[in-house]
Amino acid sequence: MTVTFRPLAGASLLLALMGSASAQTTITVATVNNGDMIRMQRLTPEFNALHPDIKVNWVTLEENVLRQRVTTDIASKGGQYDVLTIGNYEVPIWAKQGWLMPLENLGADYDQADLLPPVAQGLTVDGKLHAVPFYAESSMLMYRTDLLAKAGLKMPENPDWDFIADAAQKMTDKGAGIYGICLRGKAGWGENMAFLTSMNNSMGGAWFDMEWKPQFNGPEWKKTLDTYLSLMKQYGPPGASSNGFNENLALFQTGKCGMWIDATVAASFISDPKESQVADKVGFAPSPVRKGGANHGNWLWSWNLAIPATTSKAEAAKTFVAWATSPAYMKLVAEKDGIANVPPGTRTSLYKNPEYLKVAPFAQMTLTAIEAANTQKPSDKPVPYTGGQFVAIPEFQAIGTAVGQQFSAALAGTSTADQALAAAQALTSREMTRAGYPKK
Amino acid sequence: MATQASRMAGRLMLSPAVLLLLLWMIVPLGMTIYFSFLRFNLLMPGTEEFTGFENYHYFFTDPAFWPALVNTLTLVLGVLVITVVGGIALAVLLDQPMWGQGIVRILVIAPFFVMPSVSALVWKNMLMNPVNGLFAALARTLGLQPIDFFATAPLASITAIVAWQWLPFATLILFTALQSLDREQMEAAEMDGAGPVWRFVHLTLPHLMRAMTVVVLIQTIFLLSVFAEILVTTNGGPGTASTTLTFLVYMQSMLQFDVGLGSAGGIVAVLLANIVAIFLMRMIGKNLEA
Amino acid sequence: MAREVSKGRKAAVTLLAWGVALLIFFPILWTFLTSFKTEGEAINSHPSFLFFDWTLENYETVNQRSDYLAHFWNSVVISLGSTVLGLIIAVPAAWSMAFVPGKRTKDLLMWMLSTKMLPAVGVLVPLYLLARDTGLLDTKTGLVIVLTLVNLPIIVWMLYTYFKEIPGEILEAARMDGATLSSEILYVLTPMAVPGIASTLLLNVILAWNESFWTLNLTAANAAPLTAFIASYSSPEGLFYAKLSAASTMAIAPIMILGWFSQKQLVRGLTFGAVK
Repeated sequence: MTVTFRPLAGASLLLALMGSASAQTTITVATVNNGDMIRMQRLTPEFNALHPDIKVNWVTLEENVLRQRVTTDIASKGGQYDVLTIGNYEVPIWAKQGWLMPLENLGADYDQADLLPPVAQGLTVDGKLHAVPFYAESSMLMYRTDLLAKAGLKMPENPDWDFIADAAQKMTDKGAGIYGICLRGKAGWGENMAFLTSMNNSMGGAWFDMEWKPQFNGPEWKKTLDTYLSLMKQYGPPGASSNGFNENLALFQTGKCGMWIDATVAASFISDPKESQVADKVGFAPSPVRKGGANHGNWLWSWNLAIPATTSKAEAAKTFVAWATSPAYMKLVAEKDGIANVPPGTRTSLYKNPEYLKVAPFAQMTLTAIEAANTQKPSDKPVPYTGGQFVAIPEFQAIGTAVGQQFSAALAGTSTADQALAAAQALTSREMTRAGYPKK
Repeated sequence: MATQASRMAGRLMLSPAVLLLLLWMIVPLGMTIYFSFLRFNLLMPGTEEFTGFENYHYFFTDPAFWPALVNTLTLVLGVLVITVVGGIALAVLLDQPMWGQGIVRILVIAPFFVMPSVSALVWKNMLMNPVNGLFAALARTLGLQPIDFFATAPLASITAIVAWQWLPFATLILFTALQSLDREQMEAAEMDGAGPVWRFVHLTLPHLMRAMTVVVLIQTIFLLSVFAEILVTTNGGPGTASTTLTFLVYMQSMLQFDVGLGSAGGIVAVLLANIVAIFLMRMIGKNLEA
Repeated sequence: MAREVSKGRKAAVTLLAWGVALLIFFPILWTFLTSFKTEGEAINSHPSFLFFDWTLENYETVNQRSDYLAHFWNSVVISLGSTVLGLIIAVPAAWSMAFVPGKRTKDLLMWMLSTKMLPAVGVLVPLYLLARDTGLLDTKTGLVIVLTLVNLPIIVWMLYTYFKEIPGEILEAARMDGATLSSEILYVLTPMAVPGIASTLLLNVILAWNESFWTLNLTAANAAPLTAFIASYSSPEGLFYAKLSAASTMAIAPIMILGWFSQKQLVRGLTFGAVK
């Protein structure tokens, strides 16, 4: 007895129709949907003009999705990408696992010595670069000069947190929809915790002591969180607990924030008259210190291009990586889109270029902030880790996000500062114990 | 009626589906069970070792576990109540004679075609954002303080978004069922002087019972795995206010890359889903057989 | 049925129904309108409904930045492919369950449905490893297979409930006339089941089109469908409401238009056996 059922043939035909092959060297580049990367993607034809034999496939995703995709792929050796866009948090961790190809001999005109030392240092493992910086940022205070003047204040050279509180109070005019200060509140190790970790560093605190014991029960975190909450609850915008970098940027650009402490790259967005309604009224100052302190808690973040060790197209990938981070690429952007749009924070030469300094009033402050960032010794206290706004251990993503949730809840008003700190202490201890710290 | 031959043929035709699903069930599930007993972090290769029930221990004692369990049930129940009640109301409304019924129906079912991530993005940014969103603008026009939805009522906000997506589905099924309602019986009852409420409670509702159970069953399957909406809007917060079981497993396996812990969580989630399933099946079985 | 309804009542019902319908539809309409605004206009604190400077610049930007057609084509192939493959496997299974039921048929059906409850996030890593080893990462074939399996239980169930409503006597009559099993399925059952199959197909195309976990996590450049396209427009730096709206409109328009046109077919079979 036979059952004839033919449509299966149709299915195999359908399956055969899918999938194609290509002879040219095709590299797949995974990147974030930030403005500078989108520009890089748009300039692909320029790359192809130089290297017609390399075809570039783009995978552009939102930051969190990208991080998850790329990490899954590299950790399981999926080999879907030939070039990865990753942060300086991942680079040392991944390099130690042998997941990234060391980058040497990037070409005669690459000028590796031109890379800003703090940035390059963060990407160097065992004396070799394992990724090259595409753009880099530190943190600083951005403010509205008009509102500050109206409040009868003058920005000191090194503002402290007391001054910030005073200025925030005087600038706030909720009736007019103006909030004295905008800070990150959205939970995430790269969102509110980036800011709060930096702020805590400026307050003299740290994440862990030398025995890897979490420090949320110490006075510094208490002071940090209390100051943050009192600033935000009195002078912050509504919905602050879900505001990240992008949300705050939109708020500042539409004139709703008096002050904003965040990434230096924001400077070019808020002073661009095409995007910002307050472009001609912005000032810049260093990230605040505690009264009498000297640690600005400057963070250091860079988006970098790296090549997974599993790639079978190492040469083509390296050619691309070198092109996208070379001085020639910066010149190309300057010609095409204007020098103000050159990816910032990676090369010394950019900050010596008078043309750039002329169009970018924030250039000097950005450079100072990046150079002041000390990721090797972020806290005034001795600590067993490196990293400015993060702790460079693999567990940090999860712990940082979980702690961020607690602090976000405190900002939303569903828990108190003390409850949030106690919860943070408990969950961090728990996770660190599970991960087997202290190690060695 | 079934002959020996047709019974054989029946088995044969059934087997591809069963075998495939069995494979689908056993292979990933088997791997997950295996992983759940390992210390296995993707970010730290080479440290895999057998740890017994340690992962389960950590999962159950995770401070977010109980809130997540409660949130999951709240979300599922909340959406079910809204969609079933709203669906019945809409179905009854759509069943009335009106002008332009076709267009009304098209408008009502539209949200069902929207990808979860798109609808979450749209609701979060363009509607519910407390500064730039449309609701905030409306509130300001009325002289009210804009509501910060995702901070003050995160789970309720997510429930609303998910309910918006599933309301059309419930409406469609209930509406289809409503159309097979015996009109003569309805009219007879009307003649006998039964009011609209009596008719609704004693005729319409019982008729819709089966459709309701179907809505509940299918939606529960999908609602238990709601994920994109949370990821896009609140990331499970503030605190753990909107962390569901699925999201907790996501945090562990995708953020922490702790495959062992994530697998243990996955197994717990599967077990819970099956408990819900058995419960539902009982209910459905009864209703569908009758 | 000819119920007499007063004009007044009909007008009131119409008004109410239109009001509710527009309210439900509003978020989509708003997205559509915002896609024609400039970024500045999109976050204007006094939002304008229709009276703004309409612009196509967002669509231009989106088209410049991403290969919409490639993503669209991937979505089409993946959603149709997985649905058709699913139907091919499910039709015989559902037939057998409906017409040659055994003692365990009900249990089997329920078990199938319960596989649908496997939380995807929990099994991503195992599946990723499997896909890597079989070379199915970032291929449409891989996604077709996964989505077929994900939706198979729903397909089987929908078809089963539909087949069950076909009176067995008709099949028996055909058999009396000497029809073989295959011709019984092809010439008697299938024509009667066309509405059910059509609506199963539609529902599953919709579900597969909107599936955004596997489609996002198992693809990179080659097989990425519209769900991945959207992920490149969500929350970038700077203002993005208008561009996001344009991308969203482009991602949901095809399936929505399909859904609207085939509404009647979709509804007809969408009973899951709930109609007596």
